[in-house]
Amino acid sequence: MKASGAFRERLLEAWTELRENLGRSILQALGVLLGVASVLGGFSISDSQRKRADEMFIKMGGLDKLNVMPRAAMKDGQPTALQTANLGLRDADALGGEALKADAIQGVSRQKSARARIVSTFMDQDRQVSGIGGDYIPANGYGLAEGRSFSVSEMEDGAPVVILGTEAAATFFPKGDALGQSLRIGTIPVTVIGTFQERVFHFREGGGNQFWWRNRIIAVPANLVQRRMNGDAYRRVDRVTFRIPDMAAMSGFAQQLKGLVSANHRLQDDFRLDDVAARMRRRQSQGSVYDIVFLLSGVLALVGGGIVNVNIQMAGLKERVREVGVKMAIGASGREIFKGFMTEALLVTALGGAAGLVLGVGFSWGITYSIGVPLHMTVASFLWAYGMAAAFGFLFALYPAWKASRLSPMEALRYE
Amino acid sequence: MKTTRGTDAPIIETLGLTKVYGANGAAVHALRGVDLTVQQGEFVALVGPSGSGKSTLMAILGCLDLPTAGTYTLDGHQVQGLSGGELARIRNEKVGFVFQSYNLLPKASIVRNVELPMLYAGVGRKERRERALVLLEKVGIADKADKLPATLSGGQKQRVAVARALANGPALLLADEPTGALDSKTGAEVLELFQELHRQGNTLLLVTHDPHIAALAQRRVEIRDGKVAAGGEWEALMASQEPGTRLTAHHPGAAGDGLEASLAEAGFQAER
Repeated sequence: MKASGAFRERLLEAWTELRENLGRSILQALGVLLGVASVLGGFSISDSQRKRADEMFIKMGGLDKLNVMPRAAMKDGQPTALQTANLGLRDADALGGEALKADAIQGVSRQKSARARIVSTFMDQDRQVSGIGGDYIPANGYGLAEGRSFSVSEMEDGAPVVILGTEAAATFFPKGDALGQSLRIGTIPVTVIGTFQERVFHFREGGGNQFWWRNRIIAVPANLVQRRMNGDAYRRVDRVTFRIPDMAAMSGFAQQLKGLVSANHRLQDDFRLDDVAARMRRRQSQGSVYDIVFLLSGVLALVGGGIVNVNIQMAGLKERVREVGVKMAIGASGREIFKGFMTEALLVTALGGAAGLVLGVGFSWGITYSIGVPLHMTVASFLWAYGMAAAFGFLFALYPAWKASRLSPMEALRYE
Repeated sequence: MKTTRGTDAPIIETLGLTKVYGANGAAVHALRGVDLTVQQGEFVALVGPSGSGKSTLMAILGCLDLPTAGTYTLDGHQVQGLSGGELARIRNEKVGFVFQSYNLLPKASIVRNVELPMLYAGVGRKERRERALVLLEKVGIADKADKLPATLSGGQKQRVAVARALANGPALLLADEPTGALDSKTGAEVLELFQELHRQGNTLLLVTHDPHIAALAQRRVEIRDGKVAAGGEWEALMASQEPGTRLTAHHPGAAGDGLEASLAEAGFQAER
């Protein structure tokens, strides 16, 4: 058969053959269908979860952050006075870090927290107070609902001003008129100059608010905490965050910063770096383990289906030996017979695969709906699912088609 | 193709055609050196009892199988030593088969059955359909073109098979007991069709065990024990440049069978 229109003819013939043996064809397509649905479904579910995690990180203030946090340096024994004087994360680390790569760093924020008794006219509670400095508010995704943010001089001076999260505002001022009111933090009277917007993120629809604790924030200038609450002469902080949008600059910076802080701390390893993007990547690589599991389960379904298909094809071939013989007698070459059988098997794969994609979409939708995560499907998942099916369909079609093509025309004609 | 061929070049020419099945101890000699020549336009009946090697010879002449030894030239093409693909092409272009059991494809329409050999030959869709309809017209069942084979009577099926055999204008029509499954009336009609095809210049080789059918042919070739027992090859022998290398006698009738057989045997031994 020459090229022009030959493929179309074979396809037509294959289609006729499939229709004539509908039950058998459906059985054959079933294995492909399940394999495709399972690969696509698995991928889409993990894609949806991952997309949601991305969204969460971005809402938390972005991925382009490098956190420096203190950790216990002394495993045992007491630090010497000299060590004490040099240990701990300090303002100096933040300033030094900023100087390292001033052009790449878009913001630096500090955090120094304390627990304190907080008293308003309506409420008296023991709470965490966040002393914040620098670009803490935008870097952590906060926005102001009412009032204003801290001014530079208030930050600098550690002025007695406070901004409340929605939960804190509602707790201490249930009448909803927090702005301008005063509050006592420990022994310090402070004025509410603003309230934050409510932070809401439901990872799963109907699930809890992942950001609920962010609404509990009671933010004061870091210097206030340092100077008047539990600060020390070394101006130690709990956390320094550098914001570097240029991801390429990030890793180099992390190395330099590590050297600098280590030097500042007399080579004591009393801090750790937390690259948010790297943390994110780690999370994603954990996700890809699931992808491999899903892919494997899909492959197993496809291999199982493929083996069943080989059996069905071989059984079908027995019924069709004579037909092959006749075709050969009237001039079909072994190659032609091979192509015919391959076309049939690949048509089954194509149709079963297409049905599998539909089922896979339904499957993914059902699962993500039931766990309340928005469905997110990528083109790559479709390509993987269909590609795997095509590859296995092709592989398992080879043997029966080859067998058919190798029949001797004379013996095939005499076959009863 | 037919027009360019010299009138004296035979359609079939075999020399010492041998077919052995199995190997060594278990070897079965189905053909033991068949020399056969069929000229263009001839109507030859291939007769012989079952087990004579008739079917094997037919399979080789139809390029369904290759000889173990000997040469076979079909319409100017050397057949021995060809690959499976080349054999398929020869079958497609040069040979038209008509089988006892029709061997139509049950899932394909009548016209599609006739189109198939043209499809394998790479004939375009439109031309294929036109030619198939013309052929169906010729065998007298154009009105059934879109029906499935199962809806046809035996005689009609065999007509479809004939139309299919003619599809690529073959050099040789090979019919294997074409009336074996038909009642005598439809059988006669089909034979009439064959005779008509012969009158139109087709070369026919008809395999049969029925002497009445064989009698319709111009010439009978009898196969016995894997050899040509007797046949109408007297003229061929006369024309041969090397008398004595082939000893086959003219077949005047069934009476002289024994004599011819022994002569053939002697000839066979003389060749050695």
